[in-house]
Amino acid sequence: MRREILRSVYEDNLVMLGQGRSLLTKRRLYLGKKYLIAALLCIIAVLVNGRHVNISFSPTELTAQTAMMNMAPALPPPAPEGVPNPAELNSVAGSGNVALSRMFGLKIKTIMIDAGHGGSDSGTVGKMGTKEKDITLDIARRLRQHLEAKGNYRILMTREDDSAVSLNRRVELAKTAKADLFISVHINYLPQKPINIIETYYFGPSTDANILRLAEQENAGSEQGLSDFRAIVEKLGKTMKLQESREFAESIQSNMVRYSRKQNSSIQDFGVKRAPFVVLLGLEVPSVLAEVSCMSNREEEKELQQEGHREYIARSLALGIFDYLNKGDLTHEAKR
Amino acid sequence: MKQNDEQNQENVLFVGIDLGTSRSAISASNGKREWIESYVGWPKDFIAEQVIGKPVLFGEEALQHRLSLDLCRPLERGIIKEGIESSERAVKEIIRHLIDLAKSEPGKQIHAVVGVPSDSLKVNKLAIRRAVAEHVQALMVVTEPFAIAYGMNLLNNALVIDIGAGTTDFCIMHGTIPSEEDQKTIFTAGDYIDEQLFNYLIEKYPNSRFNKNMVRQFKEKFSFVRTLDEDIRVELPVDGKPVMHDIKNEVRRACESILPALVDTTTEMIARFDPEFQMKIKNNIVMAGGGSLIRGIDEYLQDALKEYGACKVTRVKDPLFAGSDGALKLATDMPAKYWEKL
Ligand SMILES: [Zn+2]
Repeated sequence: MRREILRSVYEDNLVMLGQGRSLLTKRRLYLGKKYLIAALLCIIAVLVNGRHVNISFSPTELTAQTAMMNMAPALPPPAPEGVPNPAELNSVAGSGNVALSRMFGLKIKTIMIDAGHGGSDSGTVGKMGTKEKDITLDIARRLRQHLEAKGNYRILMTREDDSAVSLNRRVELAKTAKADLFISVHINYLPQKPINIIETYYFGPSTDANILRLAEQENAGSEQGLSDFRAIVEKLGKTMKLQESREFAESIQSNMVRYSRKQNSSIQDFGVKRAPFVVLLGLEVPSVLAEVSCMSNREEEKELQQEGHREYIARSLALGIFDYLNKGDLTHEAKR
Repeated sequence: MKQNDEQNQENVLFVGIDLGTSRSAISASNGKREWIESYVGWPKDFIAEQVIGKPVLFGEEALQHRLSLDLCRPLERGIIKEGIESSERAVKEIIRHLIDLAKSEPGKQIHAVVGVPSDSLKVNKLAIRRAVAEHVQALMVVTEPFAIAYGMNLLNNALVIDIGAGTTDFCIMHGTIPSEEDQKTIFTAGDYIDEQLFNYLIEKYPNSRFNKNMVRQFKEKFSFVRTLDEDIRVELPVDGKPVMHDIKNEVRRACESILPALVDTTTEMIARFDPEFQMKIKNNIVMAGGGSLIRGIDEYLQDALKEYGACKVTRVKDPLFAGSDGALKLATDMPAKYWEKL
């Protein structure tokens, strides 16, 4: 056995030098065949079911993910039944521009989308190397497309590429742009737990240790510590913003859950919570942080590498936003 | 075959080199074993060179003078950054320095086996070959966990988990040279712990002064998972005055942050094989690399895997040299006729 192994090491190095044929080439052929079969299966599955199917790929193929992310969003796969589709987005968005006069006496004009993390800050990293920053940026871009297409809004983003933007700078950007609505997109990571969850936060005090831990993760890029927030949080406690933010968070959460349950019944609805996130602090307008998915769950990480899944998350976020905007419109419920 | 080899060995110094993200080591057939931190620094300008008195610095020494040096950690994330000239130059310097440390007698040929992280793609292996080739007469490149497995005689029915700085590499041995599918790399490793620990400490002690390098030293000194009887306290300056800080909880949380991915990947690697082979592998899991020094990590993994039946996790005795020793063993075992053509 030892002699055999030594010979393979030698041959392997010959191949590296471009001499000799051997194991590696054979292996690559074998892999190539597997990719082809996987691709064929995929096409067949889409044709037969008219829906997006998850096929597990080998790890090597998954590393192609970064390249995939840099491509312009192509046509999304056909939507499964019950999942937000463009037609539904249209009907919901139809009444979109009316709302919110009830609270502020003004209309929502500018929506700021915040793709979590970026640049040297990868956010959480999945077991297969998927980075939160790439996924949040892709979802944010898709969300912008939907919002721009369906509503008469000005849509801005805190970052449009893989650049590092400090948390305080994100808040500043939203303020300077006079954003009326702020949504921050993140991916969760639950150490020790294999479950898959969705949750949405709005800014406020919290005593839950797990929430504080998550807040620590998401606040990592800021100079401010949790203790700094306490005073501000107390002042904020009774303002209109809190109530509005909670309603906004509820719309986002319920739409995300509604969609994802149809995809995967094991996803758990962790609901709407308050947490002291820096990006939500200091904004006088309704603002939420959505943990749209959970990277520590292996199946979910694979799903996130699929364009279709990211597209649906973006659509359900868009639905959640329109839903919230329409809440002041009494005819809205009747239309749904 | 043995007799032929002996004749050659007279004029040859065999060396095994482990090129790691944070540390690199050499083991040589003359008994020498040395290691350095994988940092290379060049003086920024003529004045800096005058002050420092050397054209190039390594490891700890380079870190100390980092303000007057262009510093390079060429194997960051476990690979040579292809296209970045200084990385390749830095790898050359590391190899030259390691070989100097091994003190070959003049006139002797050097035959080297170099272990590199397993996610190094073909291009990176070539870059490493280019960087090493100047200093040796014959060279083979293998993956790091494979070198460790070979050195420990774990040729069959074994799983090696090498927790380095940039990556954690998994390698299943089943009697052949491991294929791509027998190996897997994840990015939760030592650097990841450093990052987590840094963030936790900033959060807990926003007014204290510390940097990433200090945090790395805390980790190396105190790392543990689960429980630890002793307290962990360090002195950090606050407003210029040294103050004791309790960092035990933060150290534990940071170290434990790599566990979920570690357990999951281990189970996933083992699950690919048929049940009979699974049983054998589970009784032969070996942890290596700096991360294997985290107190309690072997028991943690063993307990986590117990759910699926009995298993045995051990740690290599000498994580710093396990890779270079294995590479040296490969070099000396390698038949002479194979060396001739490389
Ligand atoms: Zn995040």
